[in-house]
Amino acid sequence: MTITLPYIDRIWRSEGEVRLPVPMSPEEAFPRLDPLFQTPGTTYHIDDDTLTYKKRNPAAQDKLATFTRGTLRVAQHQDGTARLRFNVSSTALLLCFLAPLLFLALGQTMEAVNAWEKAAEAAAPDDKDKDKDKASPKPELHPLDQWLGAPEPEDPAKKKDEKKDEGKFDPIPAYVLAGLFLAIYLVGRVLEPWLLKRTLRAALTPSAGDSSASVAAEALPFAQPQAEAR
Amino acid sequence: MSGVQVGKRIIGADAPVTVGWENIGRVEGGPIKQFVFTWFQPAVLFGLIAFWYYAPNEWALASIGIAIGLGFKVLLLGLEWVNPRYRSWQLTWKEFATDVFYVGLGYTVLRMVDAYIGDGVMIEAIQNAFDWEKFAWFTGLPLLLQAILISMIFDFGQYWMHRGMHNWYPLWLTHAPHHYITQLNINKGAVGNPVELFLIGLGIGGFFDFLPRAFLIAGAIGMAVSTYQHINVRFNTPRWWRFIFNTVEHHSVHHSQDYEATRSNYSGTWIIWDRIFGTCVDGEAELLGMEGGRRMDIAETMHFPFTEGYKSIRAWLRRRLQLPAATNHQPEPAE
Repeated sequence: MTITLPYIDRIWRSEGEVRLPVPMSPEEAFPRLDPLFQTPGTTYHIDDDTLTYKKRNPAAQDKLATFTRGTLRVAQHQDGTARLRFNVSSTALLLCFLAPLLFLALGQTMEAVNAWEKAAEAAAPDDKDKDKDKASPKPELHPLDQWLGAPEPEDPAKKKDEKKDEGKFDPIPAYVLAGLFLAIYLVGRVLEPWLLKRTLRAALTPSAGDSSASVAAEALPFAQPQAEAR
Repeated sequence: MSGVQVGKRIIGADAPVTVGWENIGRVEGGPIKQFVFTWFQPAVLFGLIAFWYYAPNEWALASIGIAIGLGFKVLLLGLEWVNPRYRSWQLTWKEFATDVFYVGLGYTVLRMVDAYIGDGVMIEAIQNAFDWEKFAWFTGLPLLLQAILISMIFDFGQYWMHRGMHNWYPLWLTHAPHHYITQLNINKGAVGNPVELFLIGLGIGGFFDFLPRAFLIAGAIGMAVSTYQHINVRFNTPRWWRFIFNTVEHHSVHHSQDYEATRSNYSGTWIIWDRIFGTCVDGEAELLGMEGGRRMDIAETMHFPFTEGYKSIRAWLRRRLQLPAATNHQPEPAE
């Protein structure tokens, strides 16, 4: 099922084209791309000039790991050159776009819990703190550490008052993560289509001999012999 | 595949594993690169210990420790880029985003859960129930000794929890998703089901009283050693280091696709625990994961222990109900 939502679908969808280095028909172009689809969990079919593919949870190093479904169409341009037009979508990009909302919600939850804890603490009798206050006399450093010049430990009694206003949870990491995911999304939205174009261009460029073997190696490094691991 | 005999076990019969230090890879490049990637790890470790040992009290804060930890991770990401161990472990945008999601869960959801039912809460309850004081005499020990004790005590707990996860099926169900990772990168330590991450974080250190500075030094030791467990960087790790400390070589063996190899190298920081308890296998592996390297997505990671547990219980009940009473039922082997 393909969801079409104009403008909004740009969040997770990428469209573009790659100029074919030499004029090719779909029958010539698609076999060159074939290694990209010979990976576990991939299904695809070719209908005339259009290849439609879908990948279910591809391997980490799969060249199309981010764009897990889409179409590739070979089209002849007016200037006589051939183009490969792609229209691909990515669940990973969509989830990454939504991730800041999750972390903002977690930050808000932490603040709510802090407020709730504070209210509960204010309502409860203050026995707990009294118990804590009488414990922990000022610790002494070992003579070896004194000789080596390590700073003396602080008196724990002094430190306690400074900490009183802090809540149980610090929501800042949650907000930082929300920002981080926004940054990761923006990087991915630009980087991944660029990498896709590079992959398609490399697959379609004829090299000395036939490129299909080298494309296969590019597509899935695990396919290479594990000489280094032995 | 024939494998190599290590003690009573055959390592590498199911998937390639390099056993021993003789044939593992070395840093390739000029003398400066060789120097940097040979001495980077000890220099950072001793530098951090010296920093926390002499830092003024106003600097000796957990928040500064966290900031240093984040900066260190960014630096290590750079090293992964410059000197990767394996091309097949190269960090991609999607892998990075996925890893950060798990790191994020650790900083938020797990912290909240930990505050209510974590080891601190459990230990306080035990101490209150038995009217125990903390073992306060530890604070009189030299700082570095305290730090090493904190680190080793925590790692001892982690060792046995981790070993338990590989030997008792209910615990294994929580840990299995972490073994579906197919490559090592610095944030992969955070990848796994939250139940497992909660369990592995439990420690018994709370029974002892240490100086805060000793905790910071212990944290620095943990950071400057155990972070390398999951790193895609080729180091010429010094011999003494890999004898005492866990390394990515050890941990890659633990994550290999070879079943026997996964039942080794359980410690997080001190590989010496594995040496003492006879579970250490020196070596390295590139092919990692389960089920031939099937990647597990976030959704499956979250529900795997529960759905697999449900399936196992259902299958067990079915067998029990269908088998004649006289049949000797064999329980499922522990993973």
